[in-house]
Amino acid sequence: MHMAMPSRKSSTPRPYTPRSRGVPMLRRSRVQAIVLGLCALATLLFTISHIFGSSESIPSGTPPVVIITVLDTDHYSKAYLDTIKQNRNDYAKKHADLMLMLCYLDYATFFPETTDYDLAGAPSSWSRVPAVRHALTKFPHSTWFWFLEQNSLIMNPAMTVESSILDKVEGLMLKNHPVVPPDSVIKTFPHLKSHQVDLIVTQDNTGLAQGSFILRRGEWSKFFLDTWFDPLYRSYNFQKADAHALEHIVQWHPTILSKLVIIPQRTINAYIKGGPADESGLYKDGDFVIRFVGCETGGRDCIKEADQFSKQWRAVFDARS
Amino acid sequence: MSLSRSPSPQPGGGWASPGLSSPFGEGSGTTTPRTGYRIHDGSSVSWESAKAKTEGVNGYPSFSTHNNGFFNRHYRKISSSLPRFNIGADKSYAEKEKLGRGRWSVRGGSRLARLRSMVRQANRKTKIRFLIGLGIFMLFLIYQMTPIRYWWRRSKALGGGKKFVIILAANQGGGVMEWKGPREWAIERDSIRNKKKYANRWGYDLEIVDMSTKKRYAHEWRESWEKVDTVRNCLRKYPDAEWFWWMDLNTFIMEPSYSLQSHIFNNLGTNTYRDINEYNPLNITHPFPSEHLDAEARSAVGDGKVSSINLVIPQDCSGFNLGSFFIRRSQWTDRLLDVWWDPVGYEQKHMEWEHKEQDALEFLYINQPWIRPHTAFIPQRKINSFPVGACSENGNDTRIHYNEKDRDFVVNMAGCEWGRDCWGEMYNFRELSYYLNRSLWERFKEDLVAVIWFKLTGQKVKL
Repeated sequence: MHMAMPSRKSSTPRPYTPRSRGVPMLRRSRVQAIVLGLCALATLLFTISHIFGSSESIPSGTPPVVIITVLDTDHYSKAYLDTIKQNRNDYAKKHADLMLMLCYLDYATFFPETTDYDLAGAPSSWSRVPAVRHALTKFPHSTWFWFLEQNSLIMNPAMTVESSILDKVEGLMLKNHPVVPPDSVIKTFPHLKSHQVDLIVTQDNTGLAQGSFILRRGEWSKFFLDTWFDPLYRSYNFQKADAHALEHIVQWHPTILSKLVIIPQRTINAYIKGGPADESGLYKDGDFVIRFVGCETGGRDCIKEADQFSKQWRAVFDARS
Repeated sequence: MSLSRSPSPQPGGGWASPGLSSPFGEGSGTTTPRTGYRIHDGSSVSWESAKAKTEGVNGYPSFSTHNNGFFNRHYRKISSSLPRFNIGADKSYAEKEKLGRGRWSVRGGSRLARLRSMVRQANRKTKIRFLIGLGIFMLFLIYQMTPIRYWWRRSKALGGGKKFVIILAANQGGGVMEWKGPREWAIERDSIRNKKKYANRWGYDLEIVDMSTKKRYAHEWRESWEKVDTVRNCLRKYPDAEWFWWMDLNTFIMEPSYSLQSHIFNNLGTNTYRDINEYNPLNITHPFPSEHLDAEARSAVGDGKVSSINLVIPQDCSGFNLGSFFIRRSQWTDRLLDVWWDPVGYEQKHMEWEHKEQDALEFLYINQPWIRPHTAFIPQRKINSFPVGACSENGNDTRIHYNEKDRDFVVNMAGCEWGRDCWGEMYNFRELSYYLNRSLWERFKEDLVAVIWFKLTGQKVKL
């Protein structure tokens, strides 16, 4: 009921001041103590759950970068493959945080059940795709996966993937650059931030170079590799097999293009003289990597070509250790 | 008869006859006499005094504040129930209709006037009761019958209907390819009305897509592969929506009282199955045997979480069925829509893939491991029951065929254009749906009154 006037005070004042709160226990100091106690309890529980509960945490000793090289044991001598392995291993040891993973082309030793992965008669260069997928499985906490083809050597142990590529990727990337040279209509995105980049590749004279690429773990990487490995691409007889399939998916599917950057060739993919590259793409001393592109065909000899540089990388590696 | 309050052909119009003014009349709350200025000053009541008196009671039209005694208060009731003598004086049409003079009229005046007098005579309590009743009725109207219901069912807090979009593919294969006959028009009209009603009822969005083969597609590769484009356009057009429900034209929502939320999405995990081995007409090897894949891709149920479901499809007797399926807004969906159609795949398979997107999706599901952990299957009869004509090779299958006892949600007359009667099936299911969803009153009439009548008289009657 609405009263026009407040009720009258009693004319006999009470001898004490009435309590403002109804509950006698809840004095201010006690409230403070209770709140503080609750906070402390919550923090404790939170910490405990983080220490024991989460399985998602990254175990210590996880390599941040995994190097993947598929070895073709059918066509190359063991000695040659051992030098390649040693090159990668030595590099990985130089950077204790890098880990090495070697996959043999002979899947019988690596993937016991190969029935699904006999590549259905497709060229053996396709095996890089399931190999990277396998690396994603084997190193479930690593972030970056660097695929480097067998016929190549890491020449400069001072450079690391993080410091010389990943950290600088925004500066390195070629923006608005035709995906397939010289004048593809499809161009790389001009406004990519480094956290949006999931795939780093280079380009030589003929197109995208799939012999050396860096991939970030994530849902996207699985999607990308599975799409690349689609049986319809393998059976399509692309002239350059997986390389052309890669160019195809990059040009037709914007969800792939939008995650890809192209960086200058020599940063991770310098070619030996005679490779299909401009002057800017050919190896110079001090470059990170040298690849003997095309050495398996046309009467060239990969082992010989690698030999020229074997002493060099050993010397550089020894000098730094 | 100068006692009588003059009857007035103009309801509430005040004194119609100048010479006859009642000494009582003013007290019972007539409105201000509009014709008053025409009164010849032949009576004892002057205009001034009448006005003053009227104003004194004007605020209380139903009861008199001046306690004028019983007769005064009830005088009007008595007199107004008597037959009236239409004097008809001072009427503009009096000249035209001379015959109308002096006719007896029973309770003259229009319905409105009668209603008004009823309101005047009702007492306060009755009025308040009536108002409350009216208020409840109005609220019911506002919230159940009008577009407001649509809006509150859409809102996030009350219904969440905004999260759902129904995509209806109309006019499939029409356009330049074929002309539609009356039956096709009827099918389209019924199907669209059915979905419109459903979407309005639950506050969903309905997108009707014209799938007619456009000229620009007629000679292109992608002819009638527009499902992908359409879904992508809808993703852009409805940025608030989460789930998109694709429906073919030959579908009918049999139970509009089921909301998508209560029927499926509130318990998405239990309403769907991730492991295709539960029902596997295509004999797909699941999970992947390849050991190089990660644990999630090799698990039969993905990560098993409801949040990872991005595609919900039913399976019929011969594999996936995209006549009615759900797809959810996500990055995964963007990727799927992107690679669903690919020129290399199309070139190799377009002769083989009769069902276009459906076959392509099956192919992707079989071959690309990233698809499986985000795909869930829904028992077909949840959203896509077939009539007996479809998938009928092995007789009636309780997993596939519509059963009215179970009140299946949606029926899909799949394949009716190949040698079956689409319009006939649509008509039958429409009538069945109306029959199953009759209101209480209709049930009372048809199941009780008509039956009793039939027993009594032996005649069937339609009420």
